[in-house]
Amino acid sequence: MPEERIKIALTKGRVEQQVVPLLEAAGIDCQQLRNKQRRLIFDSDTQPYQFILAKGPDVTTFLERGAADIGIVGSDILTEHQSSQYELMDLGVGVCQFVLASTADFDPQAPRRKIIGTKYPRITQRYFDQLGRDVEIIKIEGSVELAPLTGLADAIVDITETGTTLRENHLKIYDYLQPVSTRLVVNRLALKQHQRLIYQFVDQLAEVVSKSSKELAK
Amino acid sequence: MLQHLLPLGTRDEFGRRARRKQQLISVIQAHFKRRGLAPIATPLLENEAVFDPYQMGNYQLYRLLGTDGQTLVLRPDLTLPIARFISATKVPLPRKFSYVGDIFRVSRQLSGSYNQITQAGVELIGYGSLKAELECLTIANQLSAELIEDAVEIELGDARFAQRVVASLTDNASTQQAILRALFDKRVPKYQALIAPYRDQPLYDFLKGWPRLFGRPTDVLAQLTAAPLPATVQPSIDRLKRVVAWMKTTMPKQAVSLDLSSQAPQKYYTGLTFRGYSQAGAGYLFSGGRYDQLLANFQAEAEPAVGMGINVDLLTTLAADQPEAQPRELIYCEPDQWQQAEAYLAQQPNASISLAPDLAAARMEAQRAGARLVDLTGGGVNA
Repeated sequence: MPEERIKIALTKGRVEQQVVPLLEAAGIDCQQLRNKQRRLIFDSDTQPYQFILAKGPDVTTFLERGAADIGIVGSDILTEHQSSQYELMDLGVGVCQFVLASTADFDPQAPRRKIIGTKYPRITQRYFDQLGRDVEIIKIEGSVELAPLTGLADAIVDITETGTTLRENHLKIYDYLQPVSTRLVVNRLALKQHQRLIYQFVDQLAEVVSKSSKELAK
Repeated sequence: MLQHLLPLGTRDEFGRRARRKQQLISVIQAHFKRRGLAPIATPLLENEAVFDPYQMGNYQLYRLLGTDGQTLVLRPDLTLPIARFISATKVPLPRKFSYVGDIFRVSRQLSGSYNQITQAGVELIGYGSLKAELECLTIANQLSAELIEDAVEIELGDARFAQRVVASLTDNASTQQAILRALFDKRVPKYQALIAPYRDQPLYDFLKGWPRLFGRPTDVLAQLTAAPLPATVQPSIDRLKRVVAWMKTTMPKQAVSLDLSSQAPQKYYTGLTFRGYSQAGAGYLFSGGRYDQLLANFQAEAEPAVGMGINVDLLTTLAADQPEAQPRELIYCEPDQWQQAEAYLAQQPNASISLAPDLAAARMEAQRAGARLVDLTGGGVNA
C-alpha cells in the first residue's frame, strides 16, 4: 500500500455519479467506490488515494480544516460557503444555472420589498445587492419551488439544469444568475505538502476533461 | 444552563495540552531573551483604526463600543499594535522586540476553528539590511528544530514580485487586480482566460506556468532565469538567490522552497516573505516578512522592519502528539517534610506534591492520575 496518500473528498450523489467515470477514464482506481455498500471512506489498494464521500457543504468544511487535501464539489456550494481554497479545475460536469423564478403573476419591478426563498442566502443577497434592491431572504433546505406556490415567498433563487422541475411546478424564470459546475478544489497547504501527487492527479484528470469537452464541442 | 457553555470558537486548555503549551512558550521566550529581543505586551483591546492596514481574509473582528462611543476591537494581529506603540512613544530605533499573546479572529461559525489564537513573534524595527530577514529565518530554523520532531520546510517568497510582473503587462488597475486574484486563488480556468489577451507577448509561456511557480529553489530559479521577466523584479530574484545560498551554507539541513505564485501573508509586506510548515500540520507554523511602510500608517516617516509570527497553538498540537518523556510522580509528605519534598521535586520535573490529607487519599489520587506515589512519610517509594 502506498505510504504517502492524498485524501479526496467527493460530494456523494449526483456529483459522485458524474465524476467517477471521469476518474476511471483518467486511470484512477475507483474499484472501492464502485463497491462501496454503506461505507464512506475508501483506500485504494494500488494507488496513493483515499476517497471520502460527504455532502457538498461538508466537503468545503473538510477542505478548510485540512481533513481533506482535494475536494470535488459544485461551484454553488463553494460560493455559498465562501471557500478560500485553490480552485484548480472546472470538471465540466454538473453544469446548471442559478435562476430567479416565480409564478406567472410575479412582477420583479413591483415597488415593494420582496420575500425570496432560497437554499443559497449569500448568493441571493449578493445578486440583489448588485441590483440595488432590498429583499427579505428566507432560508429553505429543500423543495424550494414550494415557496412561491404556497405564498411563503414572492420568488426563489435556485439552481436548475433543464428547467423541467420549475416548469412542472408552473414556475417561470425571470432572470439568470451565475452558471454552476463541478470544481476540483485543493487545500492551500496540502498543495505544498503533496505537490507531486496532487498535480499528478490533477493532470491525469485534466487530460480526460479536456478530451471530453472537445468531443462535446464537435 | 448557559453558565456551563463556552461561546462558539473558544476552548478551555487543561492538563497535558496546557502544560505543553506553557513549556513551548517558556522555551520560545527564553530563546528570544537569549537573542537580546526586548519583550513587549500590548493590550487585547485597541481602537479599530489601528487595524486599517490589516487584511482580514475570511475572518471578522470582535467589535465593542468604547465608553465614548468609539469602536474598539479585540486585536486580530500583534504587529500593528507594536507599530502603533512605536509611533506613539517614539522609542529609539533600531530595536528588536518579541511578544507572546493572544489574537482574536472570528471564523465561520460551526467550522471547528478557534477564534482565540496564541501567537509568539518578533519585530525587528529600524533595520533595512537583509540581516534582519536572516535573523528571523535563524530563529524560525532553531525554534522549529528545538520544539517539534517533524521536519519543517521554510518557504520563501516576495511580496511585490507578482504585482511587478502584472504591471508590466497592463496599466489597467482592475485587470491587474483580476489577474492577481485569479493567480493567488489558483482559479486556473479564470486565470487562463484573463491571460489569453497576452498570448502574443514573450512573457506568455511564463504566465501559463505561473500558478505552479513554487517548489524546490533550483526548479523555480531555473524557470525565472528562462523567462523574459521585467527588470523591476530582478532585485527580488537576486535577493531570493542570496537568501537561498545563505541558508544552504548556514543551515544545511533546513528544507527550503520558493513560492512566487502566492499572495504575501499580509498586504503590508513589502519585500521578502517567509512561511514554515510541516507535513503533519494543518496550517503554517510561522509566517513573516519585510514591511518597510507599516509605520507610515501611524506617522509621517516610514521605518524599515521585518517581523514574524509563530502559531503557538499549532506548535502545541504538533508537539502534544509526542509521548511524555517520564511518567508522572506524586510526592506524599507531612508538612515538616516539605523541604525534602521540594528537593525531590527539583530533581523530577514530572513530579507534583500530593495535597491529600492522608496516605490512603494520596494512594487514591495517584491511582486516579496514573502516577507513581512517592511516600516520604516512612514507607519509602511505593509504586
